[in-house]
Amino acid sequence: MRVALFVPCYVDLIKPEVGVSVVRVLRRLGVDVIYPEGQTCCGQPAFNSGFFDEARAVGRHFLEVFERERFDYVVCPSGSCTTMVSHYYPFIFKDLPEERERSEGFAERVREFSDFLVNVLGVKDLGARLEGKAVFHCGCHQRRELGVLDEPYGLLRNVEGLDLVDWQNEELCCGFGGTFSVKMPDVSTAMADEKIKALDESGADTLISGDSSCLMHLEGRLRRKGHDTRVLHLAQVLDDGKAG
Amino acid sequence: MPGRTEFLQSIRHRTRAGRYKPTNAPDVAWTGESREGEQIEDPPARFIEELEALGGHAKRVGDWEGAREYVLELARERGAKLLVRWDVDELETLGVDGPLSDAGTEVAVWRELADFKEVAGKADIGLSTAAWAVAETGTLVLEGGTGRGRSVTLLPPTYVAVVPVNRVMRTVPEAIEKYAANGLPANVSFHTGPSRSGDIEMALFVGMHGPGDVHVILVG
Amino acid sequence: METRKPARERETDDRRDEGISSGVEGFNDRARRAVADQRLHDSIEVFTHKSVAGRNAVLDALPEAPELRERAYRIKQETMAHLDRYLEQMADAVEARSGNVFFATDGEDVVRYIGDLARSKGAKVITKSKSMATEEIELNKRLEEDYADLDLEIVETDLGEWIAQLAGDTPSHIVGPILHMNRKRITEVLSRTAGEELPPDVEALGSFARRRLREKFLTADIGITGANFGVAETGTVVTVTNEGNARLVTSVPPVHVVVMGIEKLVPCFEDLSVFVRLLARSSTGQKLSVYTNFITGPRQTGELDGAEELHLILMDNGRSKLLGTEFEEALYCIRCGACLNVCPVYRQTGGHAYGSTYSGPIGAVITPLLKGHDEAKDLPYASSLCGACWEACPVGIPLHDLLLKLRNQQVEEGLAGKAQEIAFKGFESTMKRPVLYNISSRAGRLAQKPLEKDGSMRPLPGPLSAWTDSREMPPLAAKSFRELWKEGI
Repeated sequence: MRVALFVPCYVDLIKPEVGVSVVRVLRRLGVDVIYPEGQTCCGQPAFNSGFFDEARAVGRHFLEVFERERFDYVVCPSGSCTTMVSHYYPFIFKDLPEERERSEGFAERVREFSDFLVNVLGVKDLGARLEGKAVFHCGCHQRRELGVLDEPYGLLRNVEGLDLVDWQNEELCCGFGGTFSVKMPDVSTAMADEKIKALDESGADTLISGDSSCLMHLEGRLRRKGHDTRVLHLAQVLDDGKAG
Repeated sequence: MPGRTEFLQSIRHRTRAGRYKPTNAPDVAWTGESREGEQIEDPPARFIEELEALGGHAKRVGDWEGAREYVLELARERGAKLLVRWDVDELETLGVDGPLSDAGTEVAVWRELADFKEVAGKADIGLSTAAWAVAETGTLVLEGGTGRGRSVTLLPPTYVAVVPVNRVMRTVPEAIEKYAANGLPANVSFHTGPSRSGDIEMALFVGMHGPGDVHVILVG
Repeated sequence: METRKPARERETDDRRDEGISSGVEGFNDRARRAVADQRLHDSIEVFTHKSVAGRNAVLDALPEAPELRERAYRIKQETMAHLDRYLEQMADAVEARSGNVFFATDGEDVVRYIGDLARSKGAKVITKSKSMATEEIELNKRLEEDYADLDLEIVETDLGEWIAQLAGDTPSHIVGPILHMNRKRITEVLSRTAGEELPPDVEALGSFARRRLREKFLTADIGITGANFGVAETGTVVTVTNEGNARLVTSVPPVHVVVMGIEKLVPCFEDLSVFVRLLARSSTGQKLSVYTNFITGPRQTGELDGAEELHLILMDNGRSKLLGTEFEEALYCIRCGACLNVCPVYRQTGGHAYGSTYSGPIGAVITPLLKGHDEAKDLPYASSLCGACWEACPVGIPLHDLLLKLRNQQVEEGLAGKAQEIAFKGFESTMKRPVLYNISSRAGRLAQKPLEKDGSMRPLPGPLSAWTDSREMPPLAAKSFRELWKEGI
């Protein structure tokens, strides 16, 4: 099994430890991991702000970089970036038949990290361990476009020592939304506060998600409010809670 | 102001193939996992259950005698001075006019009323039959027409409908199909329970602009 | 009988401003106030929570729900594909039943028609049931202004709408119009109208409203409703309420006027079976609303009540220009309000922050489409694109994708602003060239050194201050993932 790693730009630049955990977890499962070094970004920031031409240009570059490689799957530790490539590339290339076909063919082989582990590798228990009481935040794209919700929960329930608890408003968006977080900052912050209130009520000391963008936003607000909640990406938890 | 032709011409209808994309999302409503279609075995019983759950009152009686008793008792309990009723054969058969009058409740029949608002607006009880009843939801299907005043079912605070039990159908789609197949009077109305409003801090207020005290008697 | 007072002094003087007139403020500014209002937040939370819980339970218990959703989409799609034909069929059917039909291009046409009708009838009192279409065109206000000589008293009869009208306020939710008003305020407003102190309990307030509105219902010369659906095949107009006000508005006055958006049509009566099963369930968690009413023409011979004259106004007001475009799906909306109830943004801001008749996700989509981007520039951005609206929509309208397309439309029309255009051109250049990307990230790491403190960024200038004002921002990592990869993982 050969996997090409697609590392979101903010993971590359801000939270590289998440990428490192992904590699370690995959290798432990016997997967051959390559990292196409020409990759930069999936183009979602431009796309979300309505700059479709710019998104298309970046998307073309992305397709070229990955089409040069040989792999069984592309794996990405982010629901929103996976959705951008698998769902929204065909959307933005809708009127360009050649690119559309290329992106449609490609889409089938791009998988979010937990989806890949459970549905392709058939693995649910990685023998990971992490002590703590945690809640899981499922990114909106992952939940609604990809429909990958049971998979991360299943993986986390098998982590030894981890008490995974329910929390209120579990399905509510964290409020990041890309540029939304700076365009509508008061609303974005209020949405984060809603999630943090639920986190507090749950008694959890750990916040886990499959999307680093959500985590960056929630962690930013948690720290500003003086919370010392442990914040981890799913890949880090499965890598025995490696914080970096 | 445009004429019809210009208006319609200006509606450009460049058809395009729709892009219906069902949700992948785990929304409980659309991911129809193991849900059985339940059959309504006993429509009258289900009707009663549904209406009562909405705060209405429903009862099945064996015959018109039983229905008459119910109406008389209701008028007595409510201290009703005036009852207004539809002018239909079944209510003649019900035969409450005389007994009510004897008991001190005036009966106005929906026929040649000089000012229907005066009558229906002052009545304590409205009495009608129903074309159909729907078990699934506790709904009455009321058709307008000669002798079948809409105001009778709306203005008085207490409302009672008498429905032969063989006119209880099972589901809402069935009721709609009846009219799809057979043509429509000027007014058909589905009444489902007492009138209500939640506009004041979501607190329930019963009997907003329609009757709050709703009774259905299933006969047979 | 009340003595007639001039319109501006009467208790039902409707001086509501359409929210769009506050176009200068942005969504975030209006939202900031809402977000700080704890009481508003609590009201919205309780309302939306209850609505969603009800909706989930009742739809979960309906085995055919998924199939109904797809059928609803297909029926609306078919209707829009041949809307001219269905409109004609509707008009013919209504006229065959002795109704009058008028095609209105915009709100102005509607106001003219109703005003002239009121004049010809010598009408004084008009009762109205809840109609978003009439709010959209500011019907009440414009009738009072343009036909001031008629001295019309126009009374909203939905309890929430009436209270809002009396308060000079506007509705903030499609289904629960005064979600934003607390009991104290409501008591104030109704006491003022009553001319005496009313006790602040629901029974007393509701009973007063019932009595007072009953007077209006019974003296109305004209009743105006909207339409939840119109059936082209039979010429039927469908109204849905829990209170029964639409029934009284359509049964008592001699004249009934329907203001119906052209997109409300469905082809045949049977199609109602799909929509009637979805509407109340999605909206309030009920299997059916209390009063679902099917009106086909004015009263028949022999009937003593019901309108003697029916006037159906088919209103365009910007809808037709969406037909056949990538935004057509916005017309499939049945105004159930489910998208408002699940929207995490609406949850924090309430309806007034949107500054439009239509709020929540559907409002953010149709306001710029019907009124133009100039009037609603911020609305397509009043969303984190989470997709909960699409998920909840009983017709399956991809509202989140429509918001994206609206953003794109703004960019194409040059409304995004120079700063953004430059920023994203720069983004494109950098992201197309790995070498440039690497240089930029290394430069960024150098540049941030003075701005970094204790593992976090100091308050940042410009647009990024919007982040650092309320949140910590992590710095760029000392080594990027690709650098670590090169070194060997």
